[in-house]
Amino acid sequence: METTVAQAKIRVDNLTKVFRGTKRASDPVIALDDITFEVPDGQFLCVVGPSGCGKTTLLRITAGLETETSGSLIIRCDDPERPLNSMVFQESSVLPWMTVRRNIGYGLRMRGLPRAQQRDIVERFLKKVGLSKFGDAYPHQLSGGMKQRVSVARAFANDPEILLMDEPFAALDEQNKILLQRELLRIWEGSETDTKTVVYVTHSLDEALFLADRVILMTALPGKVKLDVDVDLPRPRKIAELRTSPRFTRLFREIWEALREEVVKDKQSRGLDFVAES
Amino acid sequence: MVSLANKLSQLLDPLKNEEQRNQIISILSPVALLLLWELMVRSGWLDARFFPPPTVIAARFWELATSGILAEHIGISLARVFAGFLAGTIPALLIGLTMGLFPLVRAILEPMVAATYPIPKLALLPLMLLVFGSGELSKVVTIGLGCFFLVLMNTVAGVVNIEPIYLDVARNYGASKRDFYTTIALPGALPMIFTGMKLGMGVSLLLIVAAEMIGAQNGIGYMIWTSYQIFVLEDMYIGLVLMAFFGYFFTMSLSYLEKVVVPWKQQ
Repeated sequence: METTVAQAKIRVDNLTKVFRGTKRASDPVIALDDITFEVPDGQFLCVVGPSGCGKTTLLRITAGLETETSGSLIIRCDDPERPLNSMVFQESSVLPWMTVRRNIGYGLRMRGLPRAQQRDIVERFLKKVGLSKFGDAYPHQLSGGMKQRVSVARAFANDPEILLMDEPFAALDEQNKILLQRELLRIWEGSETDTKTVVYVTHSLDEALFLADRVILMTALPGKVKLDVDVDLPRPRKIAELRTSPRFTRLFREIWEALREEVVKDKQSRGLDFVAES
Repeated sequence: MVSLANKLSQLLDPLKNEEQRNQIISILSPVALLLLWELMVRSGWLDARFFPPPTVIAARFWELATSGILAEHIGISLARVFAGFLAGTIPALLIGLTMGLFPLVRAILEPMVAATYPIPKLALLPLMLLVFGSGELSKVVTIGLGCFFLVLMNTVAGVVNIEPIYLDVARNYGASKRDFYTTIALPGALPMIFTGMKLGMGVSLLLIVAAEMIGAQNGIGYMIWTSYQIFVLEDMYIGLVLMAFFGYFFTMSLSYLEKVVVPWKQQ
């Protein structure tokens, strides 16, 4: 497979998003300011940045849930049968009125796949996320970690061109988070067809370095790309080994220095005191 | 462990007895009231013309029931209630889901709904009788209107209160307009829709009695009204008990249906 510029899976060109203030008097907010980058096929990209930096906006534009003010974002479509993207949402987005099975099969049902095929795919992903016993359970019977597993399974089962994830594990406790990150990598690496291109938004550097092939750091508003780093850590990765590896430390420090500047800038612009730690 | 379990059951035992006692009391108390009523009429403390003793009412009930008159009144009243309930509920559901899903439709219709909702539907009965005649249609439309507003307002509120993230999920996973109705709006609003239907059912029973008092030749409301005119108050009491029974029965039926259709709702 060639990885020329034309082969990019996602092309972001001069993307700008301005939110008009809700009240007439309030100033418009520039969430994304002239952003340009490309994501090659099969890359796991993490977008990090201070909270409210427009990274979720970037993801929502990619997902087609928000429209850009100017510029463009193009996802290359290789198979017209496939959906362009599927998203794993921030908080619990599992539909409470559907069983686990119906939730996982939601995208397949919307696309009108044959029943038998839907059932096969749902059973396979039910097993992949370890919820075979809970197929007929309703979300209120599940823990937070199990719900996010359903959400991940729903996105993967849909077999999209690209996967989008908006801080999917942010609300989970530390143990569950690590468990689910590992599972996510296992499913992503063990993908049947091809390795999926992933855009993953997070505010956690640890998470980004554990998961990603590449990390993009965004600035505080107006959101721009501040840093673009390749994460050249070998896979499969193990959290414990990773944390003690000098390469990890070097990458962490590089991104952290840049991130800290942005956080300070953001706090200052809001008139907050901030004691910078070094 | 064993002694702990023993202690626990000892602690719980009087509680259980208390529960049983309360159950028995709640069955006995209405019986006692009926007995008191009977005794007071028999001893002349209550006027038997206004408060016929329960035994006399029961005898009259038996008479009406065996002659088939009662079944006729009940049948026609229930038919009107069901027809009116469906005629009000079904359009209310469709319009309510649409208003909930599309802010533009909501902006257009909401002022009209808000303006017409407070009108007592009974006040429209003269108009209904003029427009639809004294046949079945006037009653069905009156009841339909009563149900319509209650189901409509609750459906709209139910859809509007659905977490926006579920709408994002539907959009992201390629839901069609129809899928938005069937997989998001309807199931998400169902708990509120049931609240609306229960209220609508209550209003239906209220309206049917009033409508039959004025413009009908049969039905429970007609029975109650004629009992006043010919001064046979036993019939009125029978009508009252029947309405209470149906009110209770329909509310319980809807609650049961809700449990079946909304299994995902946390109890």
